[in-house]
Amino acid sequence: MKDVSLTKKARTIISSVLVVYALTVAVNLGEFWPFSIYPMFSQGGNPWSRALVREIPPGDVITWEVTDLNNLPGNPYGVASNGVDAIDLANFVSKTETWNTDRVTALSFMLLGGGESNKQLQVFRVQAYLDEADSVVIQATPYLVVSRDANILSPSIRP
Amino acid sequence: MNLNLSDNLFGFDEVDSPGKRIFRTVFELFIVLATCYLAWVWGLYTLRISDVVLPLGFARYIDIAFMHGNALPIWNAGIITALVIAGFFRFGKWSYSTAFVLLLFQYAARFSLGEIPHSANLVGMGLMGFALAELFYPDRLSRSRFGLGFSYFFIGLAYTFAAVSKLVASGITWSDGRHLWMWINEKAVDEIARSGFVELNFLQEIVLSSLLLATLFLTFGLLAELFAWLVWYKKTRYPIIWAIFGLHIGIWFTMDILFKLSVVELLLLGLPWATWIDKAMSSSSNTP
Repeated sequence: MKDVSLTKKARTIISSVLVVYALTVAVNLGEFWPFSIYPMFSQGGNPWSRALVREIPPGDVITWEVTDLNNLPGNPYGVASNGVDAIDLANFVSKTETWNTDRVTALSFMLLGGGESNKQLQVFRVQAYLDEADSVVIQATPYLVVSRDANILSPSIRP
Repeated sequence: MNLNLSDNLFGFDEVDSPGKRIFRTVFELFIVLATCYLAWVWGLYTLRISDVVLPLGFARYIDIAFMHGNALPIWNAGIITALVIAGFFRFGKWSYSTAFVLLLFQYAARFSLGEIPHSANLVGMGLMGFALAELFYPDRLSRSRFGLGFSYFFIGLAYTFAAVSKLVASGITWSDGRHLWMWINEKAVDEIARSGFVELNFLQEIVLSSLLLATLFLTFGLLAELFAWLVWYKKTRYPIIWAIFGLHIGIWFTMDILFKLSVVELLLLGLPWATWIDKAMSSSSNTP
């Protein structure tokens, strides 16, 4: 014999959760963890923006020109070596609209971890798009240099 | 084929077996362990965050900065761990639900830098399912059946939502292989940022050189997600879970993204463990 009460209760709970699900994602731009409309990778072919870091040896001239990935200055530097998530770095760089002192200090803290490191790191915003020939074009724009002694913002970035 | 959704998801009227009991217990244990893992990983990472770039979840309504710059995330992880262990051993009616609420704070504190991850959503929904079961189902059997069925339902819904989002945002041309080229390059830059270097694997090289293959990859992924609601039905559950599993493996090899917890959960749900356990137990009991 069917246990109607258990089934009815399950339907009521699922229905209620669906209502809360719909309401929370509707008023929170599709995301209210663990609810989501799962929009990742939904925008096919759109230009994207990420970030990467290069270590600039002491004495090297700091340049602020836009370049491609084959001509980046300095030496390779992986943010994971300092426990930083690359996606966090990318979002930090791309979603920061105003590079005020607090924001620059927060990025410096994230990358250098409170000042023990004596590295000089240049942060690049990397952007890509599909050109008319269906090739992926990638450009790296230097945003700032962080070090224990000073943080320098690119002249083209709004402080 | 029984199309009754409740029967397929929960099976409240089914005859229980040792294999089914063990399987449900192992699934609940997975949700408990995964919750502890998330609480600690998120908590430890939050220690190095000092600014909110993009508030998510609860952080859109309260200033989550109180979780930054102190040991609160670690205390929170410890309390969540104790609560889910208590829930697993059936101590208290509010253990899982309290842990769930605290995990929302842990998530909001950790993901305040702009990243909107989806790798832990299935675990979050699983914990919510067992929290609701703990609150509304007094007996052990129906509680574990509801917890498992709740996960089946929301796994099917999640992947179907993902497909619908793609079709709404990009239409049928979402499967254009050039889109995969863009994402492979995007993930390559992430790898350079992560480690300083990148070396494309064999599959990435092939996909980048063949528009047809890249398009087929995306088409398979879209179809697997679009039919993910078939997880709700017993007859179609295993094949569609394996299709979704294949989608994750494809994402792993082409874009170097592995949703570890989701993949383990799919492996748990995509094989007839209960039947195998029952068979193993009956064959061992029949052995003279």
